[in-house]
Formats: sequence, structure tokens, C-alpha cells
Amino acid sequence: MKNLFEQRKKQISGFKTLLNVSKHLFAKKEMPNDVIHVCATCHKASTLEHFQRNLRVCVHCDAHERVSAKDRLHMSVDEGSFKPLWNQLTTSTKLDFPDYQKKLKEARQSTQLNEAVLVGEATLDQHPIAIGVMDANFMMGSMGSLVGELITRLIEHACEHRYPLILYVASGGARMQEGIISLMQMAKTTQAMKKHHDLNLFSIMVLTHPTTGGVSASFAMLGDLTLSEPSALIGFAGKRVIEKTIQQSLPSHFQSAEFGLEQGFIDMIIHRHEMKSTLAYLLLWSKGGTHETIRV
Amino acid sequence: MIKKMLIANRGEIAVRIMRTCKEMNITTVAIYSSADEESYHVKFADEAICVGDAHASSSYLHMNNIIMAALNSGCDAIHPGFGFLSENAIFASLVEQVGLIFVGPSAHLIELMGNKVKAKQAMIDARIPIIPGSVGAVTDLSECQRIASQIGYPLIIKAAAGGGGKGMRLVHEQSELDQAFQAAKQEALASFGSAEVYVERYFTQTKHVEVQIIADKHGHVVHLFERDCSFQRRHQKVIEEAPCFALTQTQRKKILNDAVKAAKAVGYDSVGTIEFLMDTSGQTYFMEMNTRIQVEHPVTEMITGIDIIKIMILCAQGKPLPFTQRDITMKGYSIECRINAENIRSNFAPSPGTIAFMHVPFGPHVRIETAMYQGATIPPYYDSMILKLIVWGQTRLEAIKRMRGALEELLIEGVHTNIEFHYLVLHQKEFIEGRYTTDYASVLIKELNTVEEFIRTT
Repeated sequence: MKNLFEQRKKQISGFKTLLNVSKHLFAKKEMPNDVIHVCATCHKASTLEHFQRNLRVCVHCDAHERVSAKDRLHMSVDEGSFKPLWNQLTTSTKLDFPDYQKKLKEARQSTQLNEAVLVGEATLDQHPIAIGVMDANFMMGSMGSLVGELITRLIEHACEHRYPLILYVASGGARMQEGIISLMQMAKTTQAMKKHHDLNLFSIMVLTHPTTGGVSASFAMLGDLTLSEPSALIGFAGKRVIEKTIQQSLPSHFQSAEFGLEQGFIDMIIHRHEMKSTLAYLLLWSKGGTHETIRV
Repeated sequence: MIKKMLIANRGEIAVRIMRTCKEMNITTVAIYSSADEESYHVKFADEAICVGDAHASSSYLHMNNIIMAALNSGCDAIHPGFGFLSENAIFASLVEQVGLIFVGPSAHLIELMGNKVKAKQAMIDARIPIIPGSVGAVTDLSECQRIASQIGYPLIIKAAAGGGGKGMRLVHEQSELDQAFQAAKQEALASFGSAEVYVERYFTQTKHVEVQIIADKHGHVVHLFERDCSFQRRHQKVIEEAPCFALTQTQRKKILNDAVKAAKAVGYDSVGTIEFLMDTSGQTYFMEMNTRIQVEHPVTEMITGIDIIKIMILCAQGKPLPFTQRDITMKGYSIECRINAENIRSNFAPSPGTIAFMHVPFGPHVRIETAMYQGATIPPYYDSMILKLIVWGQTRLEAIKRMRGALEELLIEGVHTNIEFHYLVLHQKEFIEGRYTTDYASVLIKELNTVEEFIRTT
């Protein structure tokens, strides 16, 4: 019987030729690339909209994908509460490492950010905070002079106003194009953190994928609490470099957030969906709120 | 009140009538010939009675058997459908005489409109334009010549008692008249036992437009607008549509008024159709009245939303019409294709046989009237219609496109059909424009017979 339907189709097609019914040639259409998201971890597809609504967590395998600084702010603080600070500053044009200015320009264009970190004031569940969010899309979130300066200023601003500090960290480390100047930022941010700490103020570092290099070796590890997103890469030198240096093979989950938790470098691993409520809980707790009052 | 009804017909129209009966809580009785034992109308009816053997004359036309079947099964009424006994005044009268309701007009109306001469006279009295010609029979040549000079050429001489093309002579000019007149008379005598002939003006390029009438037994007459049945092959309607696309508003008004006037003039009291011929100038002439339900009634139902069979049954019981003319509106366009078991490659010869496979279209505004099913057999004794495919559309073009799609989906295997022919017709410019005349089908068929693709695939 299947054959009869095919026969009819052929017949109609013949008639259409006979009747001069114009046959259109239909060009293939492209799938727009901002509609479907393919997970880098499990390679399964979902609609980009579904993925975005899920806070850029894969709906199939729960992988936490990279989030831009602006999106992160959106999902982390009270709606409309963020007030940026020093956001007009740009990295000095006097630094003339080959192609550096060109790379900066491209990064500014693609991220619509001036540098790899956004800093400012905001409220989280009504608690005023000083917040900084690094963006790994901007030259891998690397720390140059301006990134270091902004983070330092933010910490000092928190000291001045006695704000708790929350920093979302995402960085490949010091910015190699700035050489020694970028390494300088490690010390600069560290002393600022010490000041904040000495004032008995509360700070939380949220480590996201990836937190490595000079950043992990400075302010990223100096918060009162160190939180992380699941499966984030957290470490100093690259795994392969270490293996070659010490001539030993390393555990398979070496430098993962989970490994860091086991070793005591990280206090908590929090799912992105729970991150905001957890931070709100911790802020309240730091002010002496009890478990019971928090529960209400 | 009709509680039980015998349907004195077969095939799709019997099924169509039974559907309405079931809706009206009327128990249905089918009749069948020995050749129709497995027919769907037999299976669908509440009861079925065999009234004779395969030949219609000893079953579907056998009045006594049918009347006895109705009486024995306790029926209150008989619906004749179309064809067979539907326009037989003697049968209608007999039904009434045995105390049953005949679902149709009174016997005298069937008789009146069935007689061409009397019907013409009635129309002349009602001031309805008729085709110019002799009113009664023409007996001698001199009278024939006199009438011919009045009405002009071409003209046609027809047997008064005739039909089916016998005893018919087409006359193009005066010189042919004498010989044609004599030949027609002889043929009429030989075929019908009567040498009576009449003379009429012969028109070419005409449109066949007919008006659906419904009347009750209380003198109310309404029309349900018109149908265009100009797509005919050898006087057999193949495609019908409603309303007629080629009419102007003025022409439509006139034809509808004429039809209601004609029905009122004769005191019509049931469902009927008045057929008009429209010439190239747009002039309309009364042709004849069909005193029965017609094959193409669904297209009218589709544009008016009225179940004509239901009203016909109500009126037969003496109920007044449930609406007035003002309540009846038409919406959109409807087309019907008659799908026949016939071989278009051998001059549309009937192709009886068993339906090996049947796949029918569904979807919005697609309607099918049929008594066929997969595995059913089309007997060679009766007509070759397999089904009526009816569609409705907001516009005529939408209806045409919907019909094309429906035809594309319709598959019938086991017998030859005219599905492909319909599909091609629905793509012709002439058809789409809606101005095609009764001459068009034969021209198109000739044309298609020279087309290789058509020959190869049909």
C-alpha cells in the first residue's frame, strides 16, 4: 500500500510539470547560531533560552558553563541594586607589549566591558555589599594593572563603608602582557584584603571556572570563606606542567573544586541555583543571625 | 410523525438519507437487490429487506415489492432518493394510496413537471421565460417550418416522449429541416412508440444554472440559492458548484425570483430543483424542474448550512418550513466532484469491480458522501459513482485549491476512476475563471487525449 502513495506522488508531480505549475527551488536555510546551545561537557543540545533560564547550567548534565560578568551580577544581587564604581577607567595605552592594545580593544568590543572585572556596590537580600565580578571572556579574566587596581579600590571602599565583600573570581592568572606590573597586583590586592580582615569585616570569595595562576595565589584564597561552583578548575600552575616537573602522575580530579574541598582549600561547593540564597544566608549569619532566624 | 422509513434507493444517497433519519430518531429500512447484499446502505440501515434480483426492474424499480416491504416492516413513509422511482408519479400516488407518506412532492406535481409540454405551459402561464420553440407537439412539416422561421437556427427537434438523445436532430440551417424532421419522427416512433416531436431553439456555449427550492404544504416557498452544473460530459454532470460564479447580482436575483415564482405557480410542496439555461448574453430560460432531491444537493448544504433531507422529511409530514427566506444566507463556495468507476482511457466506460484499497481525504471543510468501503464491490447493474467529494472554501479559489489537495489524497485501487481527470480539470484556466459552459468538458477531454502525460499515467 505504501507504494500506492508513492505512485500518486509521482503522478501528481508529472501533472504539475504538464500543467506548468512552477516548481520552486528552495534554498537550504541556516540554523541561527544563537538559538541552540550545545553543552561543551556532555555535547547534548538544548535551546539557548532554556539554558539561559537555567542560569547557564546544562539542563542535561548540570555542567556550569561560563557566565559573563553582567549575567553574573544579574543572577547574584537584588534586581537593579548594582551601582558600578570607577567603570570609566581603562587600561593605560602606554603598555606596549606586541598586539596588547589590539587585544584589549577586541576584548572591550566583544564583552562591552572596560576591563576583566566589574566592581561596585549592591544589595543582596537587602544586605549592602561591595561586589566584584570577574569576566573570563575578557582576555581570560587575567589580572593586569587595572584589574588589580579596581579590586584593590573595591576592597578599600568596603573597608571605608564597612561593607562585607563578595568577589566572583574567574581568571587565568596574571596578565602576561603586563609582565612584572601584573605580578605586582598580587601583593597589592593581598594587602588590601589584610586591611579588610583586620577591620573584622566579612568577605566571601566565590571561585568559578577557572581560578588559576596569580589570582588563585593572591586575593582569591584570602576570603573568610572560600566557595566554589561545582567542577570549577582551581589551581596555580597547569596540571601538565606540574606532572613534568615532579615526574609523577596526579589524581584525576586534581585541581577540581571537589579536590580543593577534600584538601581543605575550599569551604563549600554550591550549585549555581543555590548560590544567591547561600550567600544571603551567609551574610545574615555573619551578622549574628541564628539558624532559626534564618530559616524564617 | 414519521417513526420508521423505508429508503427506496441504494448507494450513497440511501446512506445520506439514513444519516439524517438517525439524527431524527427515525428507524431506517433499506431495500436491496441480490447484487447488493454486501452494500453499505444494507449494513448501515436498522433493517434491510431484499426486494428482488440484480436488475433494477425487478428490485429497485419493482413498486409492489417495495410497497410490501414498507408495509410489512411497519414503515410510515418512503423516501425515493434520486433516480429509480423518485420521479414516478404512479409510485408516489401508490405510496399515498396505501396510507404511507411519500417523502417528496404530491404525485400530481411529479406528473405535471415530468411532462415537458405541460411543464412548459405552466411556465408560460407563470411568465417565466422558456426556451423559444413549439409549446406542444409538432405534427406536420409546414407547422415545423413556421416555428423554425420564428425562432431561427440552429434548432433542435426532440421526441416528446423521449430522452437519452434518441429521436433528436440538430438542424443548423433551413435546408436541413425537412429531412431532419422526418428522421426524428421516425426514430421517435421506433424508440418510444409515439411520433410526437417538438422543436426548440438550440443554444451553444450555455451555462447550466439551477435553483434549489424548498416548499412546504402550506404554500411557503424558499430558495437555497443556485448551483452551477455546467461541467457536463454527455449531459451527465461531473462537477457542480454553488453558488454560480458567473452570475451578476442582477442575474442571480432574477433567476432566484423566477424559480420561486415558478414553484409557487404550480403549488410546489417539497424539495425540488428548477434548471435554467443561460445563453451567452446572460438571458436565462426555464429548462425543467426536478421534483426530487439531487445528487449535487451537498454543495447547497455546504453554503447554507441547511440539511435539505431533514427539511424534506419535515415538510412531507406536513410541518411548515422552519425558516423564512430572510433566515437563509449563503457563505463561501462549495464544489463537488463526482468520483466514478470509469475508464477515462476508453471513453469513460464504466469500470465495475472490487475496491481493493481506498484512502479518503479528511481535513477542514472536506465532505465525502459514499457507500463504498475497502473490499466493497461496485456491481455492473447500476450507476458507477463511487463517491462524491465535496469541499467548501471562503472563496472560490480557496475551494478549488482545497479540492485539488483532497483529490491528491484520494486513492482508490481495484477499479479505474476519474480522480486524475478531476485533478486536471481543477487546474484549467477555463475552470478557474468559472465561465466555462456545457460545451467545455468535451473540448477539454479531446485536448487531454492528445497529451502524453495524461495518456501514460491515467
